[in-house]
Amino acid sequence: MLSILKSEWFKLRKSKIFGILLVGPLIGLGAGIGADAVETAGAMNEWYMLLIYMNLPYSVLFLPLVTGVLASLVCRYEHQSGGWKQVLALPVTRGKVFAAKYVLILLLVLFIQLLYLAAIFGAGLYKGVADPFPAAIIWKSILGGWVATFPLVALQLWMSVWFKSFAAPFAVNVVFTLPSILAMNSEKVGPYYPWAQPFAMMYPATDTGDIFFIPWEQLLTVIGGFFLLFYLGGYFYFQRKAV
Amino acid sequence: MMGKLLAAEFMKIKRKGIWFLTVLGPIGVVAMQMVNYGVRKDYLFGQNDDRWGYYLDNIHSFTPLAIVLGIVILTSFMSSIENETNAWKQLIALPVSKMSVYLSKFTVLSILLLTSSVLLMLFTMAFGLFLDLGGEIPYTGLLKYSFYPFFAALPVLALQLWIATVSVNQGVPITLGILGVILTYAGFTLPDWLIWKWPLLLNEWNEPLINVLLGIGAGVLLYTAGMIDFARRDVK
Repeated sequence: MLSILKSEWFKLRKSKIFGILLVGPLIGLGAGIGADAVETAGAMNEWYMLLIYMNLPYSVLFLPLVTGVLASLVCRYEHQSGGWKQVLALPVTRGKVFAAKYVLILLLVLFIQLLYLAAIFGAGLYKGVADPFPAAIIWKSILGGWVATFPLVALQLWMSVWFKSFAAPFAVNVVFTLPSILAMNSEKVGPYYPWAQPFAMMYPATDTGDIFFIPWEQLLTVIGGFFLLFYLGGYFYFQRKAV
Repeated sequence: MMGKLLAAEFMKIKRKGIWFLTVLGPIGVVAMQMVNYGVRKDYLFGQNDDRWGYYLDNIHSFTPLAIVLGIVILTSFMSSIENETNAWKQLIALPVSKMSVYLSKFTVLSILLLTSSVLLMLFTMAFGLFLDLGGEIPYTGLLKYSFYPFFAALPVLALQLWIATVSVNQGVPITLGILGVILTYAGFTLPDWLIWKWPLLLNEWNEPLINVLLGIGAGVLLYTAGMIDFARRDVK
């Protein structure tokens, strides 16, 4: 399994992947530096304010959308000139190849999240935020956002294995991601809509009265449930796919 | 020659889901408002006495995002027809100039997006009538909100087509597209010179027509730059 993961990484390394990984944290950094947090200074920990400003473009649109790009990138070599045949002719099972690709995307998303953490810190330093750094809350936000992408990555990997082009899986992703702008404002739909979860999970909440604070158990059932659905869907599709 | 090239392009996009997406875009934008008005119609009616105007503003809150994302998807689709199968060589080997190939791609994309705009106008009007917003139908506003974003988004179209045709790895234009849509999403806080802000039809003079004219001007410039670059590049 580790060797499959390694070879997946070798295939990806020269695919302009670093530039793509940097885009999100830079968006966050830009939003953080451009944030106008002066008026709220003193009212609450400035780091929270900064995080809320930065999260808005980052977790609503960027994070869900980039999972699709990463999934398509991971399948790019296989779609070119019979790559699936070559990979599957090796003594590996289809299930393991699928799992390796999935794990690799998750690691890439985690890497983006860590860069985003650095971007939060950088933006805070730039703005001279004097309040104590709420490490526990920010880590919860970073890791929560990562966990929230698990089902989205699974669906996008399924779509990317299915479609040859980048545009088709991306279209599927867009169709589901745009409604989350509405869904995240709804108390009824928001908690159940998988594409709104990155925003919900990254929103720094301290008290339960906040409408964006969603119970841990519920998030795990929604995220866990859709993860299972999408992962198994992709897994069984790949098992039967003609290469 | 152009007519035949266009016919060929339209043949190539058949049965690929491209027309489906062209129709889905405007349906999606109006469907968002169906949900919005379905859930809290009375609240929204109470927000503003000019119900038609308020309704059009609500529709317009999603149009720019849909049009920018639509451009990203369609341009990538159009260039991946040749990209996926390494068919650029075969296309260019025909007795056609590279510039006219590029122009035909751009024309097809413009026709698709204009179709979307027409459909957006029809769907917006239909749902508006269904909501029984009262008063006169603001035809001028309908036309503006349906067609201005397309013209204001022409530079984005020209840029995305350029990047998509010259990139072997379609991850690059799509990532750039995501960056663009986030700039559109956050556009109201950004400076006026960013092309991704223009489909929002906002500017400091409060005159949407400026965005249309700027869009056409900058669109022509970026289109020309992309076409010249495409014509000078080696076909791999």
